[in-house]
Amino acid sequence: MNFNLEIIWEYAPFFLKGTLLTIGLSFAGILFGTILGLFIGLGKISRNKLVAFPFQCYITFFRGTPLLVQIFLIHFGLVPALINETNPIFAGILALSLNAAAYIAEIFRAGIQSIDRGQMEAARSLGMNHIQAMRYIILPQAFKRMIPPLGNEFIILIKDSSLIAFIAAPEIMYWARAMQGKYFKAWEPYLTAALIYLVLTLTLSIILNRLERRLATE
Amino acid sequence: MKKGILLLLSSILLIALTACGTSGGNGNEEEAKVLKVATDAAYAPFEYLEGDQIVGFDIDIINAVAKEAGYEIDIVNTGWDPMLIEVEQGTSDIGVSAITITDERKQSYDFTSPYFLSNNKILVKEGSDITSSADLEGKVVAVQNATTGAIAVEGLLGENNSDIKKFDNNNLAILELLSGGAEAVVADDTVIEAYVENNPDQGLVVIEDADYFAAEYYGIMFPKDSEYREDFDNALKAIIENGTYSTIYKEWFGAEPNLDALNQ
Repeated sequence: MNFNLEIIWEYAPFFLKGTLLTIGLSFAGILFGTILGLFIGLGKISRNKLVAFPFQCYITFFRGTPLLVQIFLIHFGLVPALINETNPIFAGILALSLNAAAYIAEIFRAGIQSIDRGQMEAARSLGMNHIQAMRYIILPQAFKRMIPPLGNEFIILIKDSSLIAFIAAPEIMYWARAMQGKYFKAWEPYLTAALIYLVLTLTLSIILNRLERRLATE
Repeated sequence: MKKGILLLLSSILLIALTACGTSGGNGNEEEAKVLKVATDAAYAPFEYLEGDQIVGFDIDIINAVAKEAGYEIDIVNTGWDPMLIEVEQGTSDIGVSAITITDERKQSYDFTSPYFLSNNKILVKEGSDITSSADLEGKVVAVQNATTGAIAVEGLLGENNSDIKKFDNNNLAILELLSGGAEAVVADDTVIEAYVENNPDQGLVVIEDADYFAAEYYGIMFPKDSEYREDFDNALKAIIENGTYSTIYKEWFGAEPNLDALNQ
């Protein structure tokens, strides 16, 4: 195996641009996925079955079909229907957010349900209404427990964003594939991409570890 | 400390990958060896899956050539990128997948003499103002990554221009054109002409620009200094001469092949 560092150097600016886009896409996916996931998670635990049903369907669909299929459906189906042309970045953010929301909803649900029922009862007996009790008592405690699985989901999301290369959004994997196509070499582009993803996910887990330590009660 | 961990992790990754890379291949059992042929069976009509069978023009050709040369072969659908890796390091003995012979590729691989002549053409929607390669400037063009069509468009618009959208295969590139994300697709004529013929209701037209898009030749690909290349090359010449090639060509494309172009 002859490893050609020169061609990596040549593609470094593109990898840099790709990395910025990957960070942007992942960040947007994490942000919108978390917001959406919170609402879907809360919707799913609603006691009213009629209210909970659509949220249940949402989770079933987005968790039960491959992300790549969702990306294609959104890119070639939904986005052209919305804005009359394709837009890989818009489609990518949409797909990542919608997909992550399904998983994050389940994390929220599990987190909320893991808090002892007595906490809600205590909050209510202090005179808080249901929403206040959720906001000030249940969610802050649940959130602390949710950090490890959320971190897991965010790391998966960063890696999954590589699938957006398939709809030609110029992120890390897209440039790795372009470089592979030009030089007919596989090791250089894919190892470079692997290393960049590793740095990104490692950075994220360090941040999450810090956050977890800061929020620890003892 | 953190840098140390990172360095350690990446070197583990590297070592693991290199180890996988160098093992295997170069079997030493002489006569009984079945040669492994790697292909990317997603390029009708050259090679594609019919059910779980790999079929196509290339497949018939490589079978005929192997028979002529007296080798047994086993055709495996590896996908494009793995095919390149396998042939480069010799875990596959042969690659056949409508691979255009280029000088750049010759640095990493050996090829037989050409077995197919192809031209890139432009696919656009009916009523498009694109009439030649010169009109592609400033337009968004969808191509299949790593193809000569992609290289030809890069020659027009500039390498790594963001107006060039590189897809995994031609079908996705054409879908992008139909969805309004690109104004043209550049790909091998056989493939886009077959698409237009099979989808007449989608309002697509094929534009030829022989002045810009040079003729291309497909070759059978081998690892550097392969011991089998010469046998296959001779067998290929033999089946072109004895008419087997023309029979297969007519079966798939319904026309006589341009044998003069191949013999140049």
